[in-house]
Amino acid sequence: MYNLIRKDLILLKKPSMMLIPALLLYLYFDFSYIWSGFLFSIVIIMSLFSYDEKSSINTLLNSLPYTRKEIVSSKYIGALLFTLIIVFTIFIGNFLFHRELTAWRDILFIVGLVMGVTSLLLPFSYQFKSKYLMTGILVLFGVYMLVINTFIKNLNDIIREFVQTMLVTQNVQFYLIVTFSIMILYACSWLLSIHIYRKKAF
Amino acid sequence: MENIIEFNHVQKSLGQFQLKDFSLTVKKGFVTGFIGGNGAGKSTTIKLIMNLLQPDRGSISIFGLNYAEHEKEIKQRIGFVFDENIFYEHLTLAEMKKIIKPAYTNWDEGIFKHYVEKFELPLKQKISSFSKGMMTKASLAVALSHHAELIIMDEPTSGLDPTFRRELLDVLHHIMEDEEKTIFFSTHITTDLDRIADYITFIHKGEHIFTKKSYQIEEEYAIVKGGLDLLDQETEREFIAVRKSKLGFEALTSDKTRIKTIFGDMALVEKPTLEDIMFYTKKGAEWRV
Amino acid sequence: MQIMISNHSKEPIYEQIYAQIKKHILTNELKAGQSLPSMRQLAKDLDISVITTKRAYEELEKNGFIYSVVGKGSFVSEQDNEMIKERKMRVIEEQLSMAIQNSKEIGITLIDLKELLTVLYREEE
Repeated sequence: MYNLIRKDLILLKKPSMMLIPALLLYLYFDFSYIWSGFLFSIVIIMSLFSYDEKSSINTLLNSLPYTRKEIVSSKYIGALLFTLIIVFTIFIGNFLFHRELTAWRDILFIVGLVMGVTSLLLPFSYQFKSKYLMTGILVLFGVYMLVINTFIKNLNDIIREFVQTMLVTQNVQFYLIVTFSIMILYACSWLLSIHIYRKKAF
Repeated sequence: MENIIEFNHVQKSLGQFQLKDFSLTVKKGFVTGFIGGNGAGKSTTIKLIMNLLQPDRGSISIFGLNYAEHEKEIKQRIGFVFDENIFYEHLTLAEMKKIIKPAYTNWDEGIFKHYVEKFELPLKQKISSFSKGMMTKASLAVALSHHAELIIMDEPTSGLDPTFRRELLDVLHHIMEDEEKTIFFSTHITTDLDRIADYITFIHKGEHIFTKKSYQIEEEYAIVKGGLDLLDQETEREFIAVRKSKLGFEALTSDKTRIKTIFGDMALVEKPTLEDIMFYTKKGAEWRV
Repeated sequence: MQIMISNHSKEPIYEQIYAQIKKHILTNELKAGQSLPSMRQLAKDLDISVITTKRAYEELEKNGFIYSVVGKGSFVSEQDNEMIKERKMRVIEEQLSMAIQNSKEIGITLIDLKELLTVLYREEE
């Protein structure tokens, strides 16, 4: 399984020559590092997913001595690893450009957000195809707009407030609960993806 | 004799297509050629062998092991060549090797280099620029570099020029000098099989028609030619299928000796090609519907 | 040892191999105890399937021309009377054919030749 993650690193070699400088550039110009960290991590995770999504590549990976469980798991472990690399780059970048230590709370927030979103994106992409993600997101956005307009008119504000409180609160218990919930979500998503992938025909 | 591949009453439905009560054995130490028309179920069978598909019913064992418990162990011992390109197109062959090599405990860099040189493969060129023939050679080089005991190939010779097809058969002959190796490959170029196949497995519309030793086929099957006056309802039933023209008939039988006793010297009895057998079997199946 | 097979012959390939190896043995070109190429080697060299050479070797073994030792390969058998007889017969046939040819050249009829043969045969006794 470690070999599958190594495979993803080889696949990332070329794109990362673009991505890392771009990320550093974002940092240099003081663009919100929380959002760029989130964005870059998701881009990496999803492009690695789409490389492997072709049926020919599925044929290859499943013909090599790997189990389907390992193939899916490598994506989940890889996602964590690549997010940590991005966060680490941000930490270094912030320190170099702005002489500041990135708050651990922000780091946790990026990792948590990436994990949360990945938990939703991966099973969806395994079930359908990542090219339907855009459609999925649009549908989700439509539902969201519908909810805002008809049911909970101040949903936007609630979310904004929630994020704010999360970033400033000192309540350790609150952090533990959120962290724990995200971990549970991630684990459930992982199991769900294995379940979906196991039944696939190539 | 040991069976390397065993299908026991396998059933698999894929859309319109169905593999029905499919049993099959592939013998260790021999080359089995796998033939059948388009849509007969060759690729489905190969995917079942590779565990890319799982049977709806029945069981499959490879090296006497089942996939549920021994997936990795089985695949360590298989080398595969598919009809389509299954490598990452934007990578070079050298990068691709870097990805595949660590997956196998028995990877042998020396063998890989040998085949890369023998096949004149460019290591630093993107795979997307490879021709069909180069792609097959690259797959073959990878498939042969980890001392696999079982080589599975799906249409390895399609799209290859005749010279390389000969070269490929030489490589296969070389592999078969080792009696521990087994080769199973599908093809629709049946002349490839005359030189190398020990067993022929023939399927038609998801059904296993036969698996026979290659010399057995010419002992049992025959093309029979004769005048139309030889045919009547009864004699026609002796054949798998008959093709009639104004000049006479041509038919396939799976019981050469019986036909010889019926017709004696009145009919011409010839050795059939595999294509004859495929053609008449298909025709015969359409008849009986 | 030379073996030549034809893909276009009516005779199955394993029979061609069988006949040619048998001939090599009967003409003593392959001597008792001499090893034969392994059937896999032979299949490769002749560019034919292993099962074909296997069948040829099995037939040769069944008829006592060769024997195989597990892990060592196949060898030409010590020939029994039957086989020696067969070999002698071949030689006789050849010599007689030559005699017939010579006879024909100088116009000796079959009856004359038979008579000559009978006389010579009796003299030896």
